[in-house]
Amino acid sequence: MSEMSKPPEFPKGHRPQVFDDPSIDQLHDAWLALATELAVAFERIDTLERLLEQRLGVAREQIEGYVADEAVAADRARRRADLAHRLLRPFREFREAAIARAEQHAPDPEP
Amino acid sequence: MQDFKQHAMLPATTHDEQARQDFVGAFRGHLSGRLMPGTYQVFASRVEPAFKAKHGRAPADQEEVRKVMTQDSFYQFWSAMQRRSQEMLWESVIDPTERQLPELIERARKLSRKNRGTLRLDPELEIPRYHRAADIHLQPGGYHTDFTADDVAAGVVYDKGINLYMGGALGAENDLTGNTLLAYLREKHPDFKPKRILDVGCAIGNSTLVWARAFPKAKVHGIDVGAPVLRYAHARAAALGVDVDFSQQNGEHTDFPDGAFDLVLSHITLHETSRSALPRILGECRRLLRPGGLMLHLEIPRGRTPMEKFMHNWEAYNNNETFARFMTDIDLVAESVKGGFAAADVQIDQFAPKLDVSQMNYTEHFFWKILAGWKR
Ligand SMILES: C[S@@+](CC[C@H](N)C(=O)[O-])C[C@H]1O[C@@H](n2cnc3c(N)ncnc32)[C@H](O)[C@@H]1O
Repeated sequence: MSEMSKPPEFPKGHRPQVFDDPSIDQLHDAWLALATELAVAFERIDTLERLLEQRLGVAREQIEGYVADEAVAADRARRRADLAHRLLRPFREFREAAIARAEQHAPDPEP
Repeated sequence: MQDFKQHAMLPATTHDEQARQDFVGAFRGHLSGRLMPGTYQVFASRVEPAFKAKHGRAPADQEEVRKVMTQDSFYQFWSAMQRRSQEMLWESVIDPTERQLPELIERARKLSRKNRGTLRLDPELEIPRYHRAADIHLQPGGYHTDFTADDVAAGVVYDKGINLYMGGALGAENDLTGNTLLAYLREKHPDFKPKRILDVGCAIGNSTLVWARAFPKAKVHGIDVGAPVLRYAHARAAALGVDVDFSQQNGEHTDFPDGAFDLVLSHITLHETSRSALPRILGECRRLLRPGGLMLHLEIPRGRTPMEKFMHNWEAYNNNETFARFMTDIDLVAESVKGGFAAADVQIDQFAPKLDVSQMNYTEHFFWKILAGWKR
């Protein structure tokens, strides 16, 4: 055991399943990881804002009072729409599959 | 609440690592303080009434509660969060530990040399099956696995991990369990002044040091089956300026001579053993005591009502505290008698905790259980 080896990523032992559908367990695990990283990012932003204030004199009120000009606003709108699009991908896929199924089973239109 | 003491054996954290640990700690505090009580509310308001409507009586035991509660959507949500947050807790501590492991090992070597107590490891020691089968409370590798030469990672991770687990309620040096049992001894037997003390299942020595400080003239010894936690314990004791002997031994059968100790202790260790190991450990405690010596074991409560018992045993089914479920109804006096004690010399006490309610993971009715036995 001279070189370093790492502890395993997952603990040894039984992994309980809480919900009837295991994908719900996974979904909860994933959003909790996401929430953690969000907290980490918030804290970093908070540190940055405080340093900006202390070192560069950018007061926090200036951040609160910031008004985006037209170009910035348009850029942000594009990004918001893009985020919504990405987030909703699973639902789009689900919907399209449902529509395809419905069309398949739909009775032939009357001649 | 006291701040956690940043002694020399704890790893430094980056900005993000610290934020991650802080979030996990805060999230768990929210789970135990705000969500957990809701499981009792849904039990009283919908689960138990539905059971009564169907069976004409309340659930008779924790197994009947388990069948219906595990189907309740609120309980399911709490349980999923509790499990994942436990894993995240270890992950948040493992990251900085692994990043700094070579330095931590080096620091441990240096500090260990300053400890005037000995460190005796036994690579041949057989790790009991109850530790090898599953990682207790989900710490990857458990207390005993060495992943590199002179590894101390399991100790580092355990020290910071249990601080987060209890939201800091274990105290500045994770010494709440030791302080609680010491307070019990002082209250019940103020004149008992031990000169030779053994702490069984000492892990990182967090409780062991309490006894070394309380009885500075006594020879204090800690044993555990895990090598990495013992290396860490030995270095940590030096970092905190206390000299203690540590050795890697199984509490079921040690190499100390008969009657070697005045006081033999364990803190929250018995529930992590097994049905056959438990009476053997109690028997070994008796062998190690001199006539007139005292054995004290601190254990966590396991609930009074079927619902409380079910909630406490969340740990058994979801946190790899596999033996804990048998501890619910076990008769510790009878187990001590199996170990050779006279029933009249053994007693079980409840001892009030000094604990913040927001840190009670499974119920708001928390009492330490203490098993005391005299060798006559
Ligand atoms: C929950 S920890 C106890 C930590 C510490 N005593 C405290 O007060 O926080 C349980 C410890 O008991 C040890 N242990 C379990 N079975 C043992 C045995 N048969 N002999 C020695 N140590 C044992 C484990 O390795 C682990 O380090």
